Amino acid sequence: MSGKRIGVFVCHCGNNIAGTVDVAQVASVMAAEDGVVCTSDHAYMCSDPGQNAVIAAIKENALDGVVVSCCSPNLHERTFRENAKAAGLNAFDCEIANIREQCAWVHRDPGEATEKAIRISRVAVRRLGRSRPLEPIDTGVTRRVLVVGAGIAGIQASLDLAAAGLDVLLVERQATIGGRMMGLSETFPTLDCSQCVLSPRMVEVARHPRITLMVSSEVEKVSGYVGNFQVKIRRQAAFVDPDLCKLCDDCAQVCPVVVPNEYELGLSARRAIFMPYPQAIPATYTLDESSCLGLNPVVCGKCRDVCEAGAITYDRKPETVVEQVGAVVVATGFDLYGQEQLGEYGLGAIEDVLDGLQYERLCSASGPTKGKILRPSDHRAPKDVVFIQCVGSRDPARHCAWCSKICCMYTAKHAKLFKHQVPDGRAYVFYIDIRSGGKGYEEFVQGVMEEDEVMYLRGRVSRVYQDGDKVRVFGTDTLSGQNVEIEADLVVLALAMQPSAGTAAIAKTLKISRDKDGFLAEAHPKLRPVESVTAGVFLAGTAQGPKDIPETVAQASAAAAKAIGLLSQPRLSHAPTVAQVRSRLCTGCRMCVDTCPYDAIRLVQGKAVVTDVLCEGCGSCVASCLRAAIQVKNSSPLQMKEMIEAVLRV
Amino acid sequence: MAEDPKTPYEPRIVAFLCKWCSSAGSDLAGVSRIQYPANATPITVPCSGSVSPQYILTAFRKGADGVLVSGCHLGDCHYLEGNYLARRKLFLVKELLEFIGLEPERFRMSWVSAAEGAKFAQVITDFVADLRPLGPQDKLQGQRP
Amino acid sequence: MIDPEELRTRARDLLEGGQVRAVIGYRRGSRGWAAEPVVITRPEEAQDLVWDPSCVHNLALYLVQDRRRRGALRESTDRPIGILAKGCDARAIVVLMQENYVQRDEVYIIGLSCESSGMLDERKLAGAAEGIDPQALEAVDFEGDAFVLSSQHQQWRLPAAGVMAERCLECRNPCPKVHDTLLGKEPREQERRGTASAPTMSDPFAELQRFEQTADSAAARWDFWSRQFDRCIRCFACRSVCPMCYCEECMVDSISFTVTPDTTAQEKANRLRWIERSASRSDNIGYHLTRALHLAGRCIDCGECERVCPVRIPLRLLNTKMERESRERFGYEPGASVEVAALLASFRDDDPNDFIR
Repeated sequence: MSGKRIGVFVCHCGNNIAGTVDVAQVASVMAAEDGVVCTSDHAYMCSDPGQNAVIAAIKENALDGVVVSCCSPNLHERTFRENAKAAGLNAFDCEIANIREQCAWVHRDPGEATEKAIRISRVAVRRLGRSRPLEPIDTGVTRRVLVVGAGIAGIQASLDLAAAGLDVLLVERQATIGGRMMGLSETFPTLDCSQCVLSPRMVEVARHPRITLMVSSEVEKVSGYVGNFQVKIRRQAAFVDPDLCKLCDDCAQVCPVVVPNEYELGLSARRAIFMPYPQAIPATYTLDESSCLGLNPVVCGKCRDVCEAGAITYDRKPETVVEQVGAVVVATGFDLYGQEQLGEYGLGAIEDVLDGLQYERLCSASGPTKGKILRPSDHRAPKDVVFIQCVGSRDPARHCAWCSKICCMYTAKHAKLFKHQVPDGRAYVFYIDIRSGGKGYEEFVQGVMEEDEVMYLRGRVSRVYQDGDKVRVFGTDTLSGQNVEIEADLVVLALAMQPSAGTAAIAKTLKISRDKDGFLAEAHPKLRPVESVTAGVFLAGTAQGPKDIPETVAQASAAAAKAIGLLSQPRLSHAPTVAQVRSRLCTGCRMCVDTCPYDAIRLVQGKAVVTDVLCEGCGSCVASCLRAAIQVKNSSPLQMKEMIEAVLRV
Repeated sequence: MAEDPKTPYEPRIVAFLCKWCSSAGSDLAGVSRIQYPANATPITVPCSGSVSPQYILTAFRKGADGVLVSGCHLGDCHYLEGNYLARRKLFLVKELLEFIGLEPERFRMSWVSAAEGAKFAQVITDFVADLRPLGPQDKLQGQRP
Repeated sequence: MIDPEELRTRARDLLEGGQVRAVIGYRRGSRGWAAEPVVITRPEEAQDLVWDPSCVHNLALYLVQDRRRRGALRESTDRPIGILAKGCDARAIVVLMQENYVQRDEVYIIGLSCESSGMLDERKLAGAAEGIDPQALEAVDFEGDAFVLSSQHQQWRLPAAGVMAERCLECRNPCPKVHDTLLGKEPREQERRGTASAPTMSDPFAELQRFEQTADSAAARWDFWSRQFDRCIRCFACRSVCPMCYCEECMVDSISFTVTPDTTAQEKANRLRWIERSASRSDNIGYHLTRALHLAGRCIDCGECERVCPVRIPLRLLNTKMERESRERFGYEPGASVEVAALLASFRDDDPNDFIR
């Protein structure tokens, strides 16, 4: 039908295929198939002799194409396509028929399995019969990377990228970089000060000539494709000029507004004009438009009047910039699981029930208590502190199914920090089990249990309520089988980690997918852990899943390495299996335009036109077109029809 | 229903599997050696959203006893939203086929992820079991070859 | 009810003033009482226009033909074409605009409200009353909730509901929503319903419901449809009359494939033929199901396919089935808006999912 000379090669895969499928029978039936001019079977097609046999057969029989009936195309499609190329054919002149995973391994009856292997092989022959040689599409590269989110992941990725000589555009939603790590006190298991290790990196980011930092900014729109993205970034109005601001604090002194300080997680107050942290980068005061009395000299204007440097201007508007980048690293981090869902633990209702990040601020030397662990209600040092693990985590029925991974470790650290400050205090930890996989982690937890004498109670807490100036905690110690009641001064909850609030939006903007829990999804759970499904978009840090600082840094470096690898190529290639319009038939109805998830199709003079480099070849347009005016190269409806017939032929 | 009681009727299923999830799921079923009936022949497509109703009608008209379209779970589509488009389109195909009197069991859709080898095997097993009592599909097909 | 004279004046004015280059309308046909579509270009032709219960045709079809003709002749124009549009014709025009086939400024829509009446179903007429010979009729006119039929010597006044097309009885929008000028009024709900003895409106999808109640099993439905499909002679009248079937090539009809002097033998041989031309049951099913699916979200229920079917296949059932699913499951109303994305080029998170394993 197609006039091609096709060879079919059937692999025994040792006994893996041949144990069930009669490979000789498959080969002999395929020999009678239209277009097939030679067939053979081999013990291991993927072995050197097997591959050489394919190459030799192509040359000897002047084949136009080969079908290899073997294992899943995910394993050896590339191998055999390289063979085809080595023999002078095109990569698309080779098709794989998966008769192992989809046949030999899942069926016992040799007769049935052999028949199915024949049908599968026949489908591949028909697909090949109509496919055309295609060459990858060549595109240029912008050697610049957008990093979204400037927590430790974004910072690490930016520094690695910049060190490799790439330009970096680092975009952060908040007024300072540093992210969650900036709010931590000391880090497990070494108890080194979080800010002390982080702030040098932050300064380096600020100083690095290759890194352009945009704080108070968000990515609004991303278009284009790998190597050539256009990103639209919206920057909030900057009322304070960082170059003029002298950090004198005069403005904050006169500001009449007092609101909870989000950087201290509500544990202290701030003014409408303030500095998030003393180490904030960029080092400047920030005017928060939402709490300011109105940016209007008639209403207030005190900060502007008092600023001797003249750094404050009210007449500023948000601005939108469009930048070109070649790759994107997404490092948008995590939030804690919403306290509104956790009524039974009293979070938000009882003043002395805190979440883990709030407790970190209490322990932090730069925090509201200057590092003294004082409970919020009366600023006394607590004597009895209850730490509750797995709050919201590992509770598929009511909350989050996943393990938040770091809580076992930071709770141990929290308890240790408490015992260091209050040696005669009592610390209790409710846990389900302890997960302390990591270098030095298990030893750390053991030390907390044994040397610091923290009481570990295996069980869930059923109730937490205010009782006078105490917080009463009811729980069960499942090891002793006894109910436990603790009169605590302070309760600290290890809340589940969840993707940060903007994750869904940035995923949509970047056209990358999220897993069932809302974390950004990697392209392959094992083999492509830092890539997203969209080429050129890489993932780093807790936006992809719960992880601790070393893992975050490692992943950020991996994402940077992937981006560096990508952008080190002088040209990029794009899969040529893209949609193609048969212009004569197109009526410009726009269905394909509306269907395309990549905005790859537009109308030009009333006809659909595909931008090849944007098209991923999904075929949604094909199935939506009423006029058969669009098809994906090498997945044509004609091929589909012949494959369907091949399945059903007896 | 089979004409010859010695060769019992074996339903013939055309299974359109998306490359990223369901085909990978069927690979996992293989790797895990989960056994299921050999009645379904897979045709790999880039995305469930690329399956044109015409493919399904043609499969039935060429004598398929059952047609399966399997894609990624909602939200997991490699192409972001192809499975949503497929769901709407193929719902109408299913409704229409039932409307003209085709047995509802004959057309099936499933979401099978790359991690759901066991589910893939179950989908096929169930499908074959549901098709057996119906006998050969001779309503839409021209002549049974 | 619209005075036909008003309609003629409007058309004449538009042509005289040069606002439109032509007007698509109806005139008295060669077959006595029945109207036929006409395209008039001169003001004096306006006097030929008619408006009566025999104006069944969906004139949007002629808009499609106008575009085709202009395309073939590479004829450009800066003036719109006028078109008379009942509620259903106007919905068809909306779909054509939604699909970018016709631009809003290319048409001047003279909306005609059917008010509380509708179009005559000639087949119903045959058995409607003793002694009426449709061949002998000379005119048919609206009169309140009745149709007045006249032959040379006699007049009959029949309650409209008894002889009105089913699709008109089921119509929800007898008054066009999109128009440049409107003749007639948007009927009030009360008027639409008619009287208890002579209702002029039935439930939406009433005929579909009746079918589903009678054929309430897969076997019964198949019994019905297999006989219907067996009758199809593949004359493609349904396709020819449908304003939505404007494809250059019909993907399920190989004879519509364009062949030019450049078309090679190999190209011809490799043309994808989903469906063979033979009028076999299987190919007929393939054709009609493809058509129903291609019309999903696009069919605006003008009922023309069913009217012109020479073997009387109840094609509206297939199309209204799709329309009911679009409305009820997807909240999508065909022909309601130019701006929305097409039914099958869009989705909602809460589309039906329980049929999926």
